[in-house]
Amino acid sequence: MLAILPQLIYTGLGIGAIYALCSLGFVLLIRAANVVNFAQGQFSMLGAYIMLVLLVGVGVPYWAAFLLAVILMAGFGVVFAGAVYWPLRHRSQLAVIISTIGASILLPNVVLATYGPSPATVPGLFANPGFMVGPIFVDTQYLSVMVITVAMVVLQYVIFEKTLLGKKLQATSQDKEMASMLGISVAAMVLITFAYSAILGALAGVLVAPILFVSVGMGGTLALKAFAANIIGGYGNIPGAILGGLIIGLAETLGAAYISTPYKDAFGFLILLLVLLVRPRGLFGELIAEKA
Amino acid sequence: MRASPARPVLLQAALWWRGLPATALALIGACILAAIAPDQNYYLNVVMQAVTYAIGVAGLVVVLGYCGQISLTQAGFFGMGAYVLAILTVHQGVPFFLAALAAMAICGLFGLLLGFASLRLGGHYLAMVTISFQVILTLVLTNWIGLTGGPDGVSGIPRPALLAGTHLYLGFCLVMLVLTVFYTWRLKTGRLGRAMQAVRDNELAAGTCGINIFRTKVISFGISAVLGGLGGALFAGAFSYVSPDQFTFDESIVMLTMALLGGVQSPFGAVLGTFTLIILPEWLRFLKQAYLAVYGAAVILIMIFMPEGVWGWASVRFGRMPGTPGEGAVAPLPLFAVQQSEDAAPVLQVTDLAMHFGGVKALDGVSFTVRRGAAHALIGPNGSGKTTFLNVISGLYRATSGSVRLGNATLDGLAAHERTRLGMTRTYQNIRVFRGMSVLENVMIGAERPGNDARTAPEVMARALAALDFVGLRAEAMQPVGALPYGHQRYVEIARALAGSPDLLLLDEPAAGLNSTEKQELSQLLCRLKGHGLTILVIEHDMKLIEAVADHITVLNFGKCIADDTPRAVLSHPDVIAAYLGEPQAA
Amino acid sequence: MSLLAIEGLHARYNAGEVLHGLDITVEEGEIVALLGANGAGKTTTLRAISGLLSHVSGKIDFAGETMLGKGPGAIVRAGIAHVPEGRRVFPGLTVRENILLGASNRPTLKRAAREQEMEAMLEHFPDLRRMQNALGWTLSGGQQQMLALARGLMATPKLLLLDEPSLGLAPLIVQQVFRIIAEIRKRGTTVLLVEQNAHMALSVADRGYVLETGRILVSGKPDALWNDPKVRAAYLGGVEA
Repeated sequence: MLAILPQLIYTGLGIGAIYALCSLGFVLLIRAANVVNFAQGQFSMLGAYIMLVLLVGVGVPYWAAFLLAVILMAGFGVVFAGAVYWPLRHRSQLAVIISTIGASILLPNVVLATYGPSPATVPGLFANPGFMVGPIFVDTQYLSVMVITVAMVVLQYVIFEKTLLGKKLQATSQDKEMASMLGISVAAMVLITFAYSAILGALAGVLVAPILFVSVGMGGTLALKAFAANIIGGYGNIPGAILGGLIIGLAETLGAAYISTPYKDAFGFLILLLVLLVRPRGLFGELIAEKA
Repeated sequence: MRASPARPVLLQAALWWRGLPATALALIGACILAAIAPDQNYYLNVVMQAVTYAIGVAGLVVVLGYCGQISLTQAGFFGMGAYVLAILTVHQGVPFFLAALAAMAICGLFGLLLGFASLRLGGHYLAMVTISFQVILTLVLTNWIGLTGGPDGVSGIPRPALLAGTHLYLGFCLVMLVLTVFYTWRLKTGRLGRAMQAVRDNELAAGTCGINIFRTKVISFGISAVLGGLGGALFAGAFSYVSPDQFTFDESIVMLTMALLGGVQSPFGAVLGTFTLIILPEWLRFLKQAYLAVYGAAVILIMIFMPEGVWGWASVRFGRMPGTPGEGAVAPLPLFAVQQSEDAAPVLQVTDLAMHFGGVKALDGVSFTVRRGAAHALIGPNGSGKTTFLNVISGLYRATSGSVRLGNATLDGLAAHERTRLGMTRTYQNIRVFRGMSVLENVMIGAERPGNDARTAPEVMARALAALDFVGLRAEAMQPVGALPYGHQRYVEIARALAGSPDLLLLDEPAAGLNSTEKQELSQLLCRLKGHGLTILVIEHDMKLIEAVADHITVLNFGKCIADDTPRAVLSHPDVIAAYLGEPQAA
Repeated sequence: MSLLAIEGLHARYNAGEVLHGLDITVEEGEIVALLGANGAGKTTTLRAISGLLSHVSGKIDFAGETMLGKGPGAIVRAGIAHVPEGRRVFPGLTVRENILLGASNRPTLKRAAREQEMEAMLEHFPDLRRMQNALGWTLSGGQQQMLALARGLMATPKLLLLDEPSLGLAPLIVQQVFRIIAEIRKRGTTVLLVEQNAHMALSVADRGYVLETGRILVSGKPDALWNDPKVRAAYLGGVEA
């Protein structure tokens, strides 16, 4: 049993990277717009379905479909913001949360009604399924998930820490009115965040598509993992979201292998409950706006 | 003056039998309805489903509508109740009613546990934890085959022998629904329900009114779980078969939609929403798979265009105009039980209090004493730390160091509601009233301060009315508080603080935002309070008001006390003039 | 033509009207002080000018153009920068980043020019240069005020709105802040200053207005205001009057 441990850790981190991507988009919306987006996972579901339709239905080449799906989802993020968040932006957080819950019901069922319930498969990014490194079979799909997740984290770091746009986004999330008084367009910043958050969700979706089936229910599952990751890492905390995603991925994979396969989805949540009881502000601590 | 007829609304509201006649009528109606229901299985099944669901959805009214906490696992508790009943009756041979009680108890227990784990933090935590619970529950129901029968579920669930006939059982379920609605409706106007709504409307103010926010949220969630369990148990008896796919996350969403559509503030809304959404799909069969998509769109549209739901929307437009409290309907109790002692013992003692935010020292070692019967003013230029001081005293911020005593008790480390229980109430510079409630209800929450001597419902109401009398708002008692002009809302807040009969009243810039006439009135009001011997600590900028009211002034600047003396001495103190006008020395 | 001409300014919050018809003019190159006790409507006046309030009526003309109904972004692009009460430094950004964002009203500004302007700004505020990589929330009150001023100046405004720059600051720091305000005017920026510290405000101002509950009580030259018993009463009540 112990012999397969390295392999399991590899797989767990791969799955965890998907959750981390999803969770990252989720956290950004919390920070920029104070929106707890229950439809975050549906960005992944839609991204995966768009990729599927482009690839199988339209016959677009693989990488073009991949990129197009992500770009289309960025646009969808803006539409989503306009329909689900913007009309309620002056109302309570509760109203916005319920509205995103509404969207998280609407979107998969629209796909269900148009595409049908049967899950579909998408081929992996590379024709070569993988190779052995010592005792570990390095699956290329998991590898690309991890590489792209790392790349996105680096990209995000560069955008947020090294560009003026990133500074404006941060300023907007810290004090919207002050940002507007400096001439920063708060609406544009919020829309950009929604678009970027949808991109992250879509990436998680198109990357996980070859690993799991593309199904209507995948968004809900991913969203739950993203929430849990976010709370385990510390509410609204970016490094925490990534770490939380990896922890859940590992817990699921190891739990499924060593304890019980049918309860695979439960392990992440058990850790979540444990964290809430023992360290309710998460491993990295909750984002608390410092009073100046 | 408005010449609206004086209905004895208030008198009625305080009576224990309120709503019972209507409930009795509804019970009789329910029995007749069940007896004359057409004898078609299809029809009976639809009604049975609607009735049992409505009981579960009423639970959402409590947790979401009253307390403002999002639970996304109502179908989970519903299913848990159904399964507990099924397993106990079928496998263990436990009698139906006992099994139903066990179902409610187990659901309640799980509700308290989940609430305990998640409700200390913001509302979204409960939402996420309940989703997790839902997922785990579905996994357990599907995979723990030894206990739950796995995907095949449990069949052959018996009904109680007396109620085996479908009409009889339907009648029983309808009776339970009527009782649930009655209970939920009464809950809303009772002490606990008011506390829940206070937490929903303004958590900060709820805490400083003495409400234990965490406990109130946990209880509301527990009640919703119990009602979910009850609905589920009745559902299992109705259909004699349960399986995991009946209680999935999708069903929780359906229940949420039912509550929101009907109106989440009222059990009547819950019933309306449930019946609509169970009967409607029978008409909307052409939608087939897409009905959930329609639900999703409906949730968004309801939030944008009709946030109060159908019932809330209708009751605003067609509801009765609020009455006025009948004059003399309740004899006002004396407001103040303050003993007029001459010894001027210290009421509030502050020692070396400090509060730092990052690099800013908002309070930097403040010490002073407020004596019994004093109208003590705390003044200072903007940014000198006055409001921070009040927030530290009332337990909203945790002091960096120093100590505070109220009477003989030390307040250090106590939460806001515990400090209030010890005899301190306050108002806010930016008015914090409970917007979803009437003026009277707002003040009743104040009267329900733990530690107050008004205990029974009539006493609380009389105390609240007395407080409203005192500030001159008795005629507006039944108005929604949001409908009052700003100045009057401030008086509501003061009445709320007075109704708790505090030993110490903290007023945070009561004159802010008032025009000069209102300021005059306020000044007279404060003088009358002083005349009754109430100890007051008031933060204020308006010097005319301070001069008229205060008999002792403490001045803060840069988070430190720079003067602490009688008004005349303080206002001619060179440091104070310098602090206010910015002169290097007194001119 | 006045740089800023306000006539019959009314403003209301949900709670009711708080400004009942103000007439204020600011000429190019002046420092004009708005004085008055708390709740007189000083901050509301500045927020109305900056386009932060939704219920405003009357006339607000800046350099011959109406500002009424424009959003805060358009107003800062037109050349009015607002350094608000409480400084509102971005707590999670560094001193340099806070300053850089001050130039957000000039989108065409090249990166190199922006950096150069920031360096020049740091020359004026040696304290800030020392703290340039510290996060906003770690700064003391005085440092935050300097930072807020520097950030406001990065907009290269024709008119600078300053709300309570001395709030909560120690006397030495207050003097430093007012030296900077005098310097700002020397370099050609017009200033509309809201202050509780009447002495300091009148020591730098060319003219002043004293507000009481949303109306102008009295206006004029600093000397006249300083010796007007009504002014003193507005601050300290009747004791001194």
